[in-house]
Formats: sequence, structure tokens, C-alpha cells
Amino acid sequence: MSIVDRAETAFESRELVIARWINVLALFGLIGVLAGSLFLQFGVGEQPCPLCLVQRSGMIAIAVGPIMNLLWGMRPLHYALSILGAMVGGAGSVRQILLHIEPGDAGYGPAVFGLHLYTWALVTFAIAIAGCAFMLLWSKPFEVGDTGVAGERGFLRFVALVAIAWVTIDLLIVGISVVPECGLGMCPDNPDDISGLGGIGGVLMTLAVGAAAVVIAAIADRRLPSGEAAGS
Amino acid sequence: MLSMFILWIAVFLGIFFRKKWVPVLAIVSMIWTLVLLRLHMTDPIPLNF
Repeated sequence: MSIVDRAETAFESRELVIARWINVLALFGLIGVLAGSLFLQFGVGEQPCPLCLVQRSGMIAIAVGPIMNLLWGMRPLHYALSILGAMVGGAGSVRQILLHIEPGDAGYGPAVFGLHLYTWALVTFAIAIAGCAFMLLWSKPFEVGDTGVAGERGFLRFVALVAIAWVTIDLLIVGISVVPECGLGMCPDNPDDISGLGGIGGVLMTLAVGAAAVVIAAIADRRLPSGEAAGS
Repeated sequence: MLSMFILWIAVFLGIFFRKKWVPVLAIVSMIWTLVLLRLHMTDPIPLNF
């Protein structure tokens, strides 16, 4: 391999590592949103409405793209899935905004920094669509034949595993918590509030989920092969 | 609405086990989410798509 080829390979590997970090950060952004909604549900005691659950489904759909990029390798298909997921979640947000668009309507649930959660959700979905579009403009990470972080031991793999485990635990919590609220059918339009764990209880629950994600990631990291990381 | 999240759990399991059907099931999950959204649209508001 000539020195020019080597330099080019190293540069492409660096671009791949940057793209992977962007995907990890996107997952942590989604974790923040999901953790906020779980804090409201279990800490404050506000049960999610059906449209809130549709938006949570959209958030989870967005996470599919970055998780597949990290575990399977960078592919345009994965970003396309995230874009479609954001559009589905966005439909739920737009619907809920329209329900409360009339002047004088106080909206549903608490406002955070002046906007209701469904409006913030729409902002998140719009950012996700724009972010995926920008990542699709950047073709280099798709050209290096990436097979994912699973075979490459390192800090990036560990952090990626923490993010993936965290999103998965959040998905399980969201899914299981639907059963007592709605049973197997549709959820009530205006669900009754439950007695929450309180502010500190909600924060502790979020931290416990994060700690569980770190433990699962550490176990997975030990079991996965210890190949050389890209760009090293 | 539990079915929506069961589908997503299946999608995640498919990702972890590298199953080829993951993109198809992810799209099915999204369509099912839209179906549930449509079923919930019972209020006669403007732009009731």
C-alpha cells in the first residue's frame, strides 16, 4: 500500500469515527427526551396520553437508525428509517398541537420553557429529519465498508453500548408501563394521574436506569471480540 | 397500544441478532403506529386528516 493510500485510509477511518460519535450523541439526545418523559410519568405522576405514546413510538423509531449504524455499520437505509420514524412521530405531535391550537386553550400537560411537550417533540422530530439529511449528504462513512463497532474494542464501543442499552431499557419501561394504564386496548384520552415517586424519586429512577445500562454495556463489552478500533 | 411497543421490542431483538427482516418490521411498526394514531382521531377538529 502506498503512502497516499495509507493516508487516505486513515482519513476515511477518522471520518467513520466522527460519524459514529455523532450517532452516539444522537442516541443520548433521544435518551434525554425519553428520560424526561419517564420522569414526568413516574416522578411527577402524569400518565401519558395516547398521542404521547405515539410520539414515544416515534422517538424509539428514530433510535433504530443510529443503533443499526453502530451495530451493523453505516448505511443510508438506517438514516432513512430514522427519517420515516421522525415523520410518524411528527404526525402525532402535529395532531396534538392542532387539538390545542385554538386561542385560549391551555394545552395538555405542563409547559417546559414556554412550550408543551408535544411541541418540543415536534422540534425534536424536525431536528432528527434535518440531522439525518445532513448525515446522508456526507458519503465518506458509507464508502469504507463499515461493519459496526461490535468487533472493535475501545471507548467508543463501550459508550455506544451504554447508549444502546439505555434506549432498550427505556423501551421496555415504556412498553411495560402501558399495561397497567391501558391494558391491551387503546389508552384513555385523559388518563388519571398516579401518585409519583416525587422529584428525587424520579431522578433516582433515571440514574438507576443509567447505571443498569452501564452494567449491561460492561458485560456486553467483555463478551464481544477485542479487535482493533477504526482509526487506531 | 401495547402492540406498538411489542413490535418495537421485536425490532430491537432483530437488530441485536442481525436479522435481515429488521427494516421491514420497523416500517410495519411505523405503519401500525399511524393506524393507532388514526384510530384515536375521534375529535372533530379542523384539519382532521
